[in-house]
This record gives sequence, C-alpha cells and structure tokens, in this order.
Amino acid sequence: MSESLIPAETLERVGEVLSGPVTTVIDRREAQRYAYAVGDENPIYFDEVAAQAAGYRTLVAPPTYVTHAVVQPRTAADLRTDGLYREGTRIRLLVDRVMFGGEEWDFLEPVCVGDEITATVRLAAVDQKEGRKGPFVRQVRETTFVNQFGDEVARSRMIGIAR
Amino acid sequence: MSTDTDTAAAAPDLATLEAGQELPPMHKFPDEAQLFLYSAASHNPHRIHYDREYARFEGHDDIIVHGPLQGAWLTQFVTDWAGPAARLLGVTWQNRASGLPGEELVFSGTVTSVDAETGVVELEIAEHTSDGRLLMPATARVRLPTT
Repeated sequence: MSESLIPAETLERVGEVLSGPVTTVIDRREAQRYAYAVGDENPIYFDEVAAQAAGYRTLVAPPTYVTHAVVQPRTAADLRTDGLYREGTRIRLLVDRVMFGGEEWDFLEPVCVGDEITATVRLAAVDQKEGRKGPFVRQVRETTFVNQFGDEVARSRMIGIAR
Repeated sequence: MSTDTDTAAAAPDLATLEAGQELPPMHKFPDEAQLFLYSAASHNPHRIHYDREYARFEGHDDIIVHGPLQGAWLTQFVTDWAGPAARLLGVTWQNRASGLPGEELVFSGTVTSVDAETGVVELEIAEHTSDGRLLMPATARVRLPTT
C-alpha cells in the first residue's frame, strides 16, 4: 500500500454535512424545460391526465431533475475560471486532480410538480484505492432528498476520483 | 438534437421477460444547441460545455456532453422501454470518456435478472458512440407492473 493521500483531518470529516439543507418547490415550468432540454418528452412530465393514469398524484419530474432543482442562485462573482462556482466547503487531499467518476441513484418515491424538496449533502466516504495508474482517492458525496411529507424520495451518490 | 428508438415497442411483459433479452437501442444526436439548453435547464455554468477554446485548453477534443445529461438519457432509455406504469428504482453510471457534439450516441441494454413476484427487473446498460467508443457503462433497476 502506498502512503496515504488522505490527511487525518479529512478522514474525520466522513459523515459531515457539506451543504444544505436547502428547500425548493418543484416548478412545472422548470421541470418541463429540463425534460425538453434532455429530449425526454414522456407524457407523464407534460400531461396531467397521463401522469394520473400512470398512478402519479400529478405531473412528475424526470428522475434526476431533483438534483438540479435544488441548485441555489449564486452571483457571477463566485464563478471560478473554469465556470464552476467556488465551493463553500473544501475537502483537503494530498492530490488535486479531481475527475467526475460516476453517480449512483436510488429513486424511492416520485417527485411531483408542487412538491417541496429538502436536499442535504454529506461526505459519505473517502477512501484510497490502488489503480492501474497508481493510487487514487475515491470521494463519495451523498445527497438525500426529502419531500414535504417527510419521505425520503431520492438519494444520489456522486463519486469523485482524485489522483 | 433528436431521439430515435429502433422500434416503438409495447411495454415489456413480465410473464415472458427473461435474463439475456436485449432492449431496443436508443440513439441520441447531441448538438451545440442541446448542450446550451441543458446547461441552462440544469443551472450548470461549467465552461467545458460551452467554450470550445477553454475545453481544448483543459485537454478535451471539443466542448463535451454533460455527464448528468448522459445520465438523464440512461433513465430515459429505461423509462421509455418500461412504460409509464413502471417505476424506475435506481440507476448507476460510470464516466469513462466524453461525448462530443455532432457524434451519434447509442444506448443499449440487456436484462440481467427478473423477479416475477415483485416485478423488479435489473438491467445492464452501455452508452457508446456510433463507432464503438464506450462512454458510460451503467446499471438500472426498474419495477414493472405485476397486475
């Protein structure tokens, strides 16, 4: 095993809330704008009768839309040169080239137009792995989404790879 | 910016569905307009999706298709196949390589397990470019109506 790329202070932060909770109401116009941008014109996103015939309370949002719905407005002064917003909470590692590795979603309950969704992001895991190109650090940021009834509706785990 | 599915098939029937069956492929043709619209609709200001010169400076061949857009296509691939009465339970994807505007992207999938009692079906999915470059290996779980 190579030497650790994860400082002790970072290991201690596993489980910590990185952002949120933030609460957003799912807006019909925004959810439909998203579905059109994807090119997913499923009637359950656009036609209330079709959505109810499929067993939903009302119009549904596309499955992963919820993660975009909770993005909070930010000033352009917060943009970095790569166009991303500066993060409030940084996780310190001894490597700095970070790539987006993938994502895992659980969809537990439908997210419908008008629902009030509260999102909380936690540092779920930080671990070191041995890859073909040497050691790398895998970071998992888990977001939980809870609706106005207190039901967890979705969970997303975003996997970042740093080397 | 369009979608083609090879067959507009009826929703799968749990009674006859079995592991090894293939889903009809879905084709996507992203262009610059679609990347722009997706950046806007998903509130994503990342420069690699709209600034060609900057994307090349970061080592990409061109502006690149958003990972979450490809993820949304994976969910569409499954929900279009499964039909409106089904419920998507989960999806996972890995980013292996980047898609570029102007490329044809192909989604293919195979049923890996079927639980006739609960209706839960597991799928193995892949997104490739039309010349066979693997962009995203993926999995999905969906519950079909058991009636």
